[in-house]
Order: sequence, then structure tokens, then C-alpha cells
Amino acid sequence: MLSVALIAFAGFAALCMAMDRHFSELLGRKPGSGQLRLLRCAGWLLLALSLAIAMHLRGWAHGLVEWIAVSMAGVTLWVFGMPYQPRLLLGLAVISLVLGPLLAALAR
Amino acid sequence: MKEGFRQAMAWLHTWTGLIFGWLLFAIFLTGTLSYFKDEISHWTQPEVRRHALDPVASLGLAQRYLEANAGHAERWMIRLPNAREAALEVSWREPGSGRRGGVSKPLDAHTGQPVEVRDSRGGEFFYRFHFQLQMPHPWGRWLATFCAFIMLLGLVTGIITHKKIFKEFFTFRPGKGQRSWLDGHNAIGVLVLPFHLMISYSSLVIFMYMVMPASIMASYGGSTEGYFNDLFGREEVPKVANAAAPLVPLASLYAQVQQQVPGAAMGYVQVYNPGDRNARVSFTQSVAESIAYQRSATWMFDGATGQLLTQGAPESATMMTAFSVVGLHMGNFAGPWLRWLYFVFGIAGTAVIGTGLVMWLGKRQLKHAKRERLPGELRLVEVLNIAGMSGLLLAVAGFFWANRLLPMAWPGRADWEVNSFFLVWLVALVHAVLRPGRKAWGEQLALGALAFALLPLLNGLTTGQGLNHSLVAGDWAMAGFDLTALGTGLFLAWAAGKMLRAPKSVAKRAPRAPRATVDSTEVSGC
Amino acid sequence: MKRNAAGLPLSYRLAVTSRSLAALLGGYLLASMASVCISLLLPLPQVDAALTGMMLSFVFYLLAFIWCFACRSAWRAWLGMLVPSLLLGLLNGFVYWMKNP
Repeated sequence: MLSVALIAFAGFAALCMAMDRHFSELLGRKPGSGQLRLLRCAGWLLLALSLAIAMHLRGWAHGLVEWIAVSMAGVTLWVFGMPYQPRLLLGLAVISLVLGPLLAALAR
Repeated sequence: MKEGFRQAMAWLHTWTGLIFGWLLFAIFLTGTLSYFKDEISHWTQPEVRRHALDPVASLGLAQRYLEANAGHAERWMIRLPNAREAALEVSWREPGSGRRGGVSKPLDAHTGQPVEVRDSRGGEFFYRFHFQLQMPHPWGRWLATFCAFIMLLGLVTGIITHKKIFKEFFTFRPGKGQRSWLDGHNAIGVLVLPFHLMISYSSLVIFMYMVMPASIMASYGGSTEGYFNDLFGREEVPKVANAAAPLVPLASLYAQVQQQVPGAAMGYVQVYNPGDRNARVSFTQSVAESIAYQRSATWMFDGATGQLLTQGAPESATMMTAFSVVGLHMGNFAGPWLRWLYFVFGIAGTAVIGTGLVMWLGKRQLKHAKRERLPGELRLVEVLNIAGMSGLLLAVAGFFWANRLLPMAWPGRADWEVNSFFLVWLVALVHAVLRPGRKAWGEQLALGALAFALLPLLNGLTTGQGLNHSLVAGDWAMAGFDLTALGTGLFLAWAAGKMLRAPKSVAKRAPRAPRATVDSTEVSGC
Repeated sequence: MKRNAAGLPLSYRLAVTSRSLAALLGGYLLASMASVCISLLLPLPQVDAALTGMMLSFVFYLLAFIWCFACRSAWRAWLGMLVPSLLLGLLNGFVYWMKNP
């Protein structure tokens, strides 16, 4: 389930960065037009992927419930952490992006 | 109400939020604690020792005890120990004693002997309070369920009112006074919205048979009996035959159940007419095994011959839906990490309400900042905010202090623990009336910080099962409670510092989750 | 919300009270009627129909509350509760009579 949490976390981070305001705040530069769209796509894809993995690991019912739970936890951590430790969270998002799929692959 | 839909909904959100906010805060806080009610009970009754689970052995011990001590009773109930409840609990009804004749004894799961345990409601107090509000039946349930409806209304009107719900989805700006409070309120509301909606709606479903009985009246001719028979199935139990026949070993019946559902944990066993030819034994699967209650996971045996008679009828899809909704609320299926998330989200819901109450007053206080005194109605809100939030936290701490300080043999000590809860709450109310607002907050939060932070020490001194012992012994429930109490104390100390230090209300406050974290306990990590 | 120096006018307070009662009582009536309607009309076993009716009733109660405070006047609030309740009540009565001759 940890892999699901990590991938969902990365997904929310991407969706957040896909917003002009947050992109600029976090990376200190203006986003290119394609970049926002890319981030938005990636964000949704990552969320969908994490949901799929959750359902695969735990069945559709438990999987859905647990996916919602870890997603809420992850995005809350992101939003409340961002004003205080933006770089740490960005780093965590990147690590999640790598570690999440890795753990999922190992769990199969 | 003539100003437009959104404004009307904002008005509705604000006023229903205020009127029911204090009750909802109490319901959410005690409900959140209830997710760890077994662990809280473990802390409040430390005399019950935990052992490795062995259902077969436990059944044998329970049967032996009941045959020796309750052979005359018409009905026995055995609650098997599980990962979160250490005791093997047996109960029966003394014949001819009416409604109050129930006897319940916790047995040590290893020895089968009754445990000398201090009388305490433990976690069950908070659990029952959150849906009965210490009011006589059925008024408490009605009020609590109506509050749940108002919570749902608050969520929906909040969503309608929050114009920038998508734009500000990831927005939280601390250090900006009222703006930060609003950001925080919105963020904890929106980010955890699935949980809040689930909790509120499911509360309605739990008591829907009581608060919305029209369908039952219309379909079942005004009687709920037919409805409940259709829903749960009636356990047909024959009358006692007055012909003695020894009860088969319950362990043998357990083995038969395990053949049907290998590996499934059983919740409780009921024995009807023990020692009689018409004895019946029913096994009910543990609620932890699935999200929804499963009436099909019950088995009825002939107690004299050991033959499997019936299994509960399969549930329809509609039943599964309804029971799943209820099951999601209860969270009985949740393992350790998910249970902690339930707790955290419960705190989040409590914080949504708390921040709302603080903001309601804060916004209006600004208008009267130049005056010396707040106008009467605002002062009332201020007092209720303080008593309802920090006062409630003090009351919770008071319950646990009473649990450790009241002597074991004190008559009615369980009731006195509850009385302590309400007495402390009352004193907090009086204090809030007598002291100026900010000072009252600061003093109560500071006292709360001490009360919670010192709980582990109090525990260690009075029971010898403090952190130095529980951490080493791997008693995670006990250690988790103490550690959470400590954490709560630290949080309250930080909050108290904020209130006692800064002079004016435009102080920098980063409202992560203002004043709702409370102590609880960690589940045994296995 | 209009405030004047002497507090809120009585007519406003009456209107709010009226809307609140419409929502609380009228809304409950409407939700109950809707609940019965659903449970009588759904082609499901009796218990399932009753369950569904009850579970969906709260949605109606919620919508009723929103209507009562969003509509233009307290009168409309009451109309919005009572007229549908009456219609549903008649329908319910008819269906009940059909099912139990």
C-alpha cells in the first residue's frame, strides 16, 4: 500500500504544480505553456495508476477505500507542508515518483 | 436571503454551523477517540493482560467457567479476545432478574480466571457519548443524528459557498490572521472531504430506522419487527426442553466453522439453553473481517449434537450497500495504519468545526475591537467556544486522571470517572465566564497541556506500566496512549503559548489544526 | 443580511423562523413522502426497497433545506415543501391502495 500512497502523493504534487501560481511559487520561474499541461496529464495519470494498483493489491472495495484514505493523507501533508518546507516536499514528491512504482513492481 | 444563491448558502452555513458547532465539536472529538476505544479501555483497565490469541483454548476456558458459574442461565455470551481486545469476556443473564440482571466478567485469556479489574467505562464512555450525548434514550440519538444532518448540510453549503474550490485546492497561507484561519478551514474541509461526507452521511444511515421510519411504516404496516426480521433474519431458538444433555465442546463447533471460512476470526459465540437437549450455539464472525456487517457470517449449531443447522441468509446488494455505509463509519475492518488515518481524519473533521467556530467569532470581534467589552451575544459565543473546545479537552483529561486516582474499591468508581469528566467541563465553563477571553483560552490550554503531558508519568507511578515498561514489553496500546497523551500535551502547550504571549488578536497563528488533537492509543502493531 | 442600528427588523426574524420551520418540519415531511414513494415503487424485495427509500430520504431533506433558504420568500419555502409532499402523498396513497386491496 505504501507504493500506492507514494504514487498518489506524486500525482497530487504534479497536479498542484500544474497550476500557474503554485508552479511559480515552488520553482521560482514562469512555466512554459506545454509544461503545465504535461504536469496536469502526469498528475491524473499517476492518480489513476495508484488507484489501479490499490485495487489490484486489495480488491476493488478495500482498494478504493484505502486509496481514498492514503490520497487524502498525502495531499493534506502536501498542502500544509508547502508553506513551511516547499523544497523538502518537492524532494519527497520526486522520491515518491521513483520509489512508488519501484515498490509496486516489487510487490507483484 | 434576497442576495443570491451563494450568499444564502453562506448564511445558512454560518448560522447552522454556529448553533450546532459546539455539539458537533464534542461529537467529532469523542467519536474520533472511539476509533481507539479498545486501546483506551486497555489503558483504563491495565489489569487485563494481553496474551497470544488462541480461540480454541479461549473457548474451552470460557465454556468451563460458564458451566461452573452460570449453568442455570438461559443464555451465555462469549466475546473472544482479538488483536485489540485482550480479555475473554463472558456474560449471562441471571434468570428472573429482569432487564438489569446481566452479568459480565472479563476472564484472563490464558488462565480462564476472572480478572480483578478496576471498574471503568473506558473507551466505551466516549463511544456511547458521541451518539447518545449522555441523554436519556432515545433523545440523545435523535439529537446526535440531527447534528449529523447539520454537518452534512454544512459540508454541502460550504462547498456551494467556496467559490474557488478548485483554484484554491492546494492553497494554505499561514501567518495572515483571519485569512489563514479560513484557508485552514477550507483546506481541511476540502482535502479530507470524502471522509467528512462519508462520516456525516453514514451517521444518518446508522439510525435511519429510527429517524426516518416512514418507509418501514408504509411497507411493514407500522411495525419494525417485520423489517428487522427481513433484514437480520430471526434466530429461531426453541424453548428449553428441560431434558439435560451436555453441551458439546465449543471448540469442536469452532472447527466446523473454520472449515467453512478458513482463517476467519470469530467475534462472539452465543449459547442458548446450555446443558439442555434444545441447546443452540451461534457463532458470529468478527466485525473486523469485512467492511459490511455480514448476516451470512453467522452459524447456528445444535448444542447437544454438534450438528450445523443453519447459516445466515446471503445479503442482497442493497443490504450490502447499507451495511457497507455503516461499516465505513465504524471502521472495524481497519488495520493499524488505516485506523490511525481514521483518527487523523476525525481530528481533521473536529478541526473544521473548531476553526469555523473561531472564525465566526473572530470576524465579528474585529468589528468591536475598539470597545472594551464584547456585546452580550458575542461574549456568549466566546465563552461557549472556550468551554466547548479547550474545556472539553480538559474534561477528557479529567476522565483519565480520575481513572488513575480513584481507588480500585471506590463504590461506583466507573460512574465517578464519568462525573469527573462533566465536573471538569463545568468548571471550565465557569472559568471561561470569569476570565477574559484570551486569558481563559491560554489558561485552559496550558492546564490541558500539563494534564495530558503528565498522564504517562501518572500512569507509570500508579500502575507500573508506564512507558519504561510498555515500550520494553511491546505493549503498543499502552505505550501509544501515553505517547499520544504526551504529544497532545506538547501541542496544547504550543497553542497555550500563542494565546498567552501575543497581545492582540491579529497575532501570527499558523492554524494547522487549532485545538483538537487528543490523546489516544496506538493499536498493537502486528 | 441587512442590519440596522436597532438590530434586525421583526419581519426579517419572522421570515427566518418561517423558513427554518419549513425546512425542519416541511422538509422532513417531504423527505418522508419521497422515502415512502421510493420504497413503494421500487421493484425490489420489501426490505431492500425500504432500505433504499430510507437511504435516499436524506438527500431530499438536504435539498429541501437548501430550497427553503435559497428561494425568494418564506411563502415559497412552504409551498416548495407542501405541494410536492401533497402530490407524493397522493401518489403514495394510491400505490399503497393498489398493493393492499
